Amino acid sequence: MSTTASAARPEAGRRGTGRSRRRAGIGDRLSLVRALPMLPAAILLLAFMAGPILYSLYLAFTDKAIRGEGAADTSFVGLDNFARALGDGDFWNAVVLTIVFTTISAVIGQNVLGMTLALLMERAHRAVAFVMTSIVIAAWILPEVVAGYLLYTFFADGGSLDAILGVVGLPKQTLLFSAPIIAVSFANIWRGAAFSMLVYSAALGAIPGDVQESAAMDGAGPVRRFWSITLPLLRPAIATNLMLITLQTLSVFGLIFIMTGGGPARKSQTLPLYMYEQAFSYGQLGYGTAVALILLLIGAVASLVYLRLLPEEDKR
Amino acid sequence: MTASRTPVRPRRSGKGPRERTVETASSLAITVIGVAFLIPLLWVVLASFDTSATLAVSWPQQWSLGNFAAIWNTETTFRPLANSLILCGGATIVTMVAAVLCAYPFSRYRFAAKRPLLLTVIFATGLPITAIMIPVYSLFVQVNLIDSMVGAILFLGASSLPYAIFLTKGFMDAVPVEIEESAWTEGAGVLRTLRSVVIPLMRSGLAVATIFTFVGMWGNFFVPFMLLLSPDQLPAAVTLYTFSSQYGQVAYGQLAAFSIFYSLPVVALYLIMGRSLGTGFAAAGGVKG
Amino acid sequence: MPAPMRPSPPGRRTFLRIAAGSAVVLPLAALAGCTGADRDPGTIRVAYQQFGSGTQMETMLRRVSESYTAQNPGVSIELVPIVAAENDYFTKNELLMSSPRTSADVVYEDSFILLSDVGAGYLQSIDDQIAGWPLWDEIAPASQEAFTGEDGHVYGIPVSTDTRALWYHRDVFAEAGLPDPWEPASWEEVLEAARTIRDSASEAAPLFVFSGKAQGEKASMQGFEMLLYGTGSTLYDEETRRWVLGSQGFEDSLAFLRTLFDEELTLPLSQHLDPNISETIYSTLLPEGRLGILLDGSWISRSWAEGAAGAWPEWSETMGLAKMPTQHGQDPGSVTLAGGWGWTIPQYATDKEAAFDFIEALCAPENSVLRAIEDNHITVRADVAADERYLGYSPTVGFFTELLETARYRPALPAYPEVSAAIQEAMEVVMTGTADPAQALAAYGDQVTGIVGAENVQEEER
Repeated sequence: MSTTASAARPEAGRRGTGRSRRRAGIGDRLSLVRALPMLPAAILLLAFMAGPILYSLYLAFTDKAIRGEGAADTSFVGLDNFARALGDGDFWNAVVLTIVFTTISAVIGQNVLGMTLALLMERAHRAVAFVMTSIVIAAWILPEVVAGYLLYTFFADGGSLDAILGVVGLPKQTLLFSAPIIAVSFANIWRGAAFSMLVYSAALGAIPGDVQESAAMDGAGPVRRFWSITLPLLRPAIATNLMLITLQTLSVFGLIFIMTGGGPARKSQTLPLYMYEQAFSYGQLGYGTAVALILLLIGAVASLVYLRLLPEEDKR
Repeated sequence: MTASRTPVRPRRSGKGPRERTVETASSLAITVIGVAFLIPLLWVVLASFDTSATLAVSWPQQWSLGNFAAIWNTETTFRPLANSLILCGGATIVTMVAAVLCAYPFSRYRFAAKRPLLLTVIFATGLPITAIMIPVYSLFVQVNLIDSMVGAILFLGASSLPYAIFLTKGFMDAVPVEIEESAWTEGAGVLRTLRSVVIPLMRSGLAVATIFTFVGMWGNFFVPFMLLLSPDQLPAAVTLYTFSSQYGQVAYGQLAAFSIFYSLPVVALYLIMGRSLGTGFAAAGGVKG
Repeated sequence: MPAPMRPSPPGRRTFLRIAAGSAVVLPLAALAGCTGADRDPGTIRVAYQQFGSGTQMETMLRRVSESYTAQNPGVSIELVPIVAAENDYFTKNELLMSSPRTSADVVYEDSFILLSDVGAGYLQSIDDQIAGWPLWDEIAPASQEAFTGEDGHVYGIPVSTDTRALWYHRDVFAEAGLPDPWEPASWEEVLEAARTIRDSASEAAPLFVFSGKAQGEKASMQGFEMLLYGTGSTLYDEETRRWVLGSQGFEDSLAFLRTLFDEELTLPLSQHLDPNISETIYSTLLPEGRLGILLDGSWISRSWAEGAAGAWPEWSETMGLAKMPTQHGQDPGSVTLAGGWGWTIPQYATDKEAAFDFIEALCAPENSVLRAIEDNHITVRADVAADERYLGYSPTVGFFTELLETARYRPALPAYPEVSAAIQEAMEVVMTGTADPAQALAAYGDQVTGIVGAENVQEEER
């Protein structure tokens, strides 16, 4: 599942929980028979999620390959793959680019733009806000490959951005080649800002109006109100949102793959693309898996942080 | 917490001049951002009706359906879309059936492992699926599931399962237990209770979860890209990529037209759901204090 | 407003317990059993590359399979066009061949990837089959060798070979005041011609050399190796059986590339990075006279042939050919590389005999002649080369066939595809200005050492 959708929480799930918050259900103990409906999910998760993860723990320590040596017969190589990664400039290049990509596009871009949009949405004329946020949401709802292709044409040599720059008399840009990581970061902001916007807009809606109003009566200006009242109240939402968009951004593959393929000269090759290139273009499945495992670990840590941030109610 | 939440802040009636300035400035600012977001979208729409489209957004000299006509065939359009439908439709069914079945005991019974299990499920929602695609690929080769539509459906279904369970359980928690109890006392089993009492009561929630799941899968590129190989099995996400790498520099208009065909289902679902899809997200992560 | 709830940390121990519990992996194989192998034993699946607008291969396969199935009722031929650019084709093909469920029965392979695939165990030897196939002896020894593994077994039937040279556009040359025929004797003369075009009234881009990862093997072979093998340096030392690193020729070749970009003697970088640029060049740039010189292969005129999507009947008058000179004109004066494609049978083919039977049909004399003409390729077969239709089909076939005499071949080693990828990377960092030629050379050295091991490399004496 594309990670974009993976953060919604059921509104309905919360509605009226106060009423039905009685611990005792119908026969409150789980028996073997009663657990039976959980079986399909358990089988699927064990076979297709836990299975591959465990398998990767094996694969990452082998020299399994698609072609050449290691394809016909696979052997254990111990920690070689990890040592190779740590000693490989291209791996570190990918790590740095992943950090840059995540920071620019998620932590700064999506997050700040999403917050800005949510704030503007509250204040702008209702119809204008509706139309504009619909556009932003449309960018987010589109399939990843389409988004990648659209943003490619936008940044391409002779694309829309060049046309616009031409209109205002500026020279052409070459972001796709000179700074591709910036181009793909912008693409990811374009694609992901709606998510943060929806999160923040919901969070803002949950702030009682009277808190703001009483502050206004105390003579606090809008900027001051934002910093001293709104922002602190939003802190939990910000923390969770940051974790979620970080997780989503860590696994972005298609968008970059379509736009730049990780190039030129590895200048936009984040970890997922590096992993793919090593495993498939170069056929080094074992090594690629080792890189994947490192990515998975980073994701797991982020996911644990997210788990801790999640309100207790969701975990019952 | 829940009680203190007001869904929409009531708009103050009677705007002062100050509010008006804020409103105008905000409208202006949001319009600037919105227009910036609009340009690539505008490109795809305009280019699809322009047989001599270029990379830059421009008004077609002559509106034409030529691009759509050019890709209006089984090979380019119908088969990939049908494959997408089989893949994503199948996987959505797998996910939702398994999720509803799994959520019921989660929601209704108490057991020692409940909390850790639920935590594991939530933890799994955060894992980057991208990172396990290489082992999944190797594993699928080992067990002979590679290039199998069934295999791809099951994997795609499983990969969105944690989140679907989490969502569904939330919706199910909101269904009052009392109604079910009468069904139970009448001797209905788990499945019947689910079917005749619980599911009808959480229909709208289930619709939201189903659509989330489907939309997420529809846009997924990496999973089918890795697991399906035969040209006649590839879904639109992958053929769009091959098409763009093959003709991307020559047939912009056709590519735009195909992009529109491919995006149409999700856009339509969004339009049908309207803001309730947005509302689904309203309670998105971390909204609660 | 109540104070925000602090989520309590998840019980770490319980969490671990669950994680450990989930370690009970379910036998996925049981699941696989349900889907099973669904290949029909009576069907022969033929895999080939389909990229861009050319459909010569498909036309030919359809023609042969029609007559073949008519003669062999009960057998059906399924075409498996693999839509992928250069390198992706090889990877995708290997992925398909790695499983009995997905493997084709007959696969069209480039000789450069062949040994690597043999090493991986994807292909099977066809020694027994060629023993009973009289046409094997019609195949040129160099091509036979290219399809023979290190173990001495034969793994495929070579079909075509190819050579490379400079194609130049006569109209552009006339506009720039350059001579025709054009016979450059050194790199410098090539660059001079390019500079002349740049400074002339012509709008055409002067010179195009395939470079960088996006062009895949084209960049390594048509681009880089056409330069390198004209410097006196080499990629692989046949005598010591080691890969050559740190060579002057390697650095000079990269420097040549750098010059093209520094002096704006080529298309913009963006077009170089477009995996589809060859299609644009053949279908638009050359017919419209927007490119002066192209370093490319013998087969490219097939895009302009009658009946092709980009038919351009005037090409034979408009396009001139020149041999690619060596760096300073040193012996033998010009350089070319030869490669080739052929039919192979994967390890997991359902029925080897049937597969070879179909290959025989594909390689029958009449079809081979037609195929060579349609595909504008250089045949490897003496019987085809003797056919009058072949001799007369194209004004260029004589020129390119003659080049074969001095042609060089890529190192026929399983590691070559990976080394080739390293070459493309070196080109890309130089053309994008990310590194200078010396740095790229050093990085190439590190990479090749990583691929083949320190015991299999040597530094060139400089």
